[in-house]
Amino acid sequence: MDWKRTREPADAWHMTDDLHVEHGKGDPFAAAIRATRMSMIITDPRRPDNPIVFANDAFLRLTGYERHEVLGKNCRFLQGPKTDKEAVGQIRTAIEDKADVSVDILNYRKDGSTFWNALYISPVSNDKGEVQFFFASQLDVSDRKRSEHRITADKDRFEKAVKERTAELEAALEAQTTLLHEVDHRVKNNLQMISSLIIMQRRTIKDEATRHSLTTMLERIEALSTVHRRLYQSKDVSRFDVSDFAKDLVTDLLTASGRSGIKPKLELDPIVISAEKATPVALMVNELVTNALKHAFKEGSDGTTAGRIGIKMSQPDGHFNIEVSDDGVGMAEANGDASFGMRLIKSLARQLHADIEWRDAGPGTKVVISMPNEPQQKGLSHD
Amino acid sequence: MTDPLKVLIVEDEALLAMELESLVEEAGHSVVGWATSSAEARSMVESTDADIAFVDIHLTDGPTGVDVAHYIGEKKRSMVVFMTANPKRIPDHFAGAIGVIAKPYTMNGLTSALRYLQEGVRRPPPVSTRPAGFTLSPAFEAVWAPAA
Repeated sequence: MDWKRTREPADAWHMTDDLHVEHGKGDPFAAAIRATRMSMIITDPRRPDNPIVFANDAFLRLTGYERHEVLGKNCRFLQGPKTDKEAVGQIRTAIEDKADVSVDILNYRKDGSTFWNALYISPVSNDKGEVQFFFASQLDVSDRKRSEHRITADKDRFEKAVKERTAELEAALEAQTTLLHEVDHRVKNNLQMISSLIIMQRRTIKDEATRHSLTTMLERIEALSTVHRRLYQSKDVSRFDVSDFAKDLVTDLLTASGRSGIKPKLELDPIVISAEKATPVALMVNELVTNALKHAFKEGSDGTTAGRIGIKMSQPDGHFNIEVSDDGVGMAEANGDASFGMRLIKSLARQLHADIEWRDAGPGTKVVISMPNEPQQKGLSHD
Repeated sequence: MTDPLKVLIVEDEALLAMELESLVEEAGHSVVGWATSSAEARSMVESTDADIAFVDIHLTDGPTGVDVAHYIGEKKRSMVVFMTANPKRIPDHFAGAIGVIAKPYTMNGLTSALRYLQEGVRRPPPVSTRPAGFTLSPAFEAVWAPAA
C-alpha cells in the first residue's frame, strides 16, 4: 500500500466539522480512526442521499480521491460498469434495514482502475435507538480475489484436462474391445472352418482307419471350439467355467456316439479356472471321455451298448480335481501308453502341473486328475 | 415321422455354407437356397418356400443379418435361427428369431439342433433336450421351454 501523505487543501479539516458536533476533535478514538491504515468512512443517513461526512486518509489513498471530492457525496461513485449489481443490492437493502452488511464488491478508483473491496458497513445509533451514522470500512482484497480466480481457472483447466484424458481412455478401451470382439469372431469362424474342412474331407474317405483318425481329430478340434464358444460368453474373458464346458462336451460326445444306452453321470461343482488353463483342461477331458466311449464298453448280444460314464469335478482346498470314470471292461483293454491320446494326456498334465492316476475301479476304470487351482475370489495373475 | 425341413442358408462364407448344406441334407432335410448378402436373402425369401432360415449376422454387405431376420419376420414366410460367431450383436428381442446357434458349433451340436428345430417347427414344443450351444430367444423360451 502506498503510504505517502494525501495531498489535500489546507482547510480540508473543516470539512469534517459536522462530525465534531458529537465527536470532539480531541477524542483519542477519532484520532485513531483518522490515522489507521484501515480505510474508513462515515455517512449520515439523516441527510439527503446518505452522503459521506468523514473519510480517513487510508480511504483517500485507497480510492485516489481528494477529501473534498468525496465529502458530501454518496458512496456510489466507487461503483463502475463491472460492479456486481447483486452486491450493490445487498448494500442498499442493509442501509434501508439499518443492518450490518459484509460484502466483497468490485470498486473503481478515481483513475478508473479497479480493486476488490471487502466492505463492512454497520449502523451507529444514539441512546434513543435512532441511526445517526453508518460506519464503513474498506479492505483491498484484490490479491485474494486474484488467487481465488486463479484457483477456479486452474480447477476448470484440470477438470477439462481430466475430461479430455478420460474421453481418450474411453475411446482406447472402446477400440480395444472392438478389436477383441473382432479377433474372437475370427478365431471362432476359423475353428468352424477347420472342422468343416475335416468333415468334408472325411466324407470322401473310404478307408476305415483314416476315417477314424479324422474323426478323432475332429473331436479334438471341436473340444477347442467348445472352449472358445464358452470362453467369451461370460463378462470376464480371463475366467472359464469348466463345469459348464464339461456338461456341453459330454452331452455332445454321447449324442454323437449314437449310443443312447450309455448314460452320463455328472457331478460338477461350479469351478472357474483361468482362461489359459481352459484349453489344456478341455483337451484332456475330451481325450478321457472319448477314450472311455471307444474302448470301455462292449456291445451286448442285442447290438446295443449299456453303461455309465461319470465326470466329477470338485475343488478341495486349493486343488481342482477331475474324475472320469466308466463301468466298462476295465484297464486291461484300454490303449497302452504308446498311443498318441495317452501321450497327449500326459503332456497336458505336465503343462498343468497335474497329477494323473489310472485306477482299476472294478468294474471299469477311474482316472483321477488333480491340479493346483488358485482360490476363486483371487484375481488372475498372469505369468 | 415328422416332415423334413426346407432350409434357406444365409451365410457369406462358402466353406461354412457348403458344410452346413451337407449336414442339413445328411440329417434328411433339404436346402432350398443359399444367399450371401441381405439383398440375395430378401429375393430368396420371396422365391423359395423355406420353413426355416439359418442367418449369419455378418454377410457380404456388412452386419445385415438382423435386418434379414426382420424382413423374414414381416413376411411371415419362414422362421429364423441366427448362426453367428458374434451372438452379442443379436438384439435382445432377437428380431423375431427362434434363437441362435453359436459358432463354432460341433457337428453333433448342429445335428441335435436340427432335430430340436424340426420338432419345434413341425410339432411345437420340441420334445428333445435343447442342444449345447443353442440358445432360445426370450419369446421362444417362454413358449418352447417354459420354466417348470
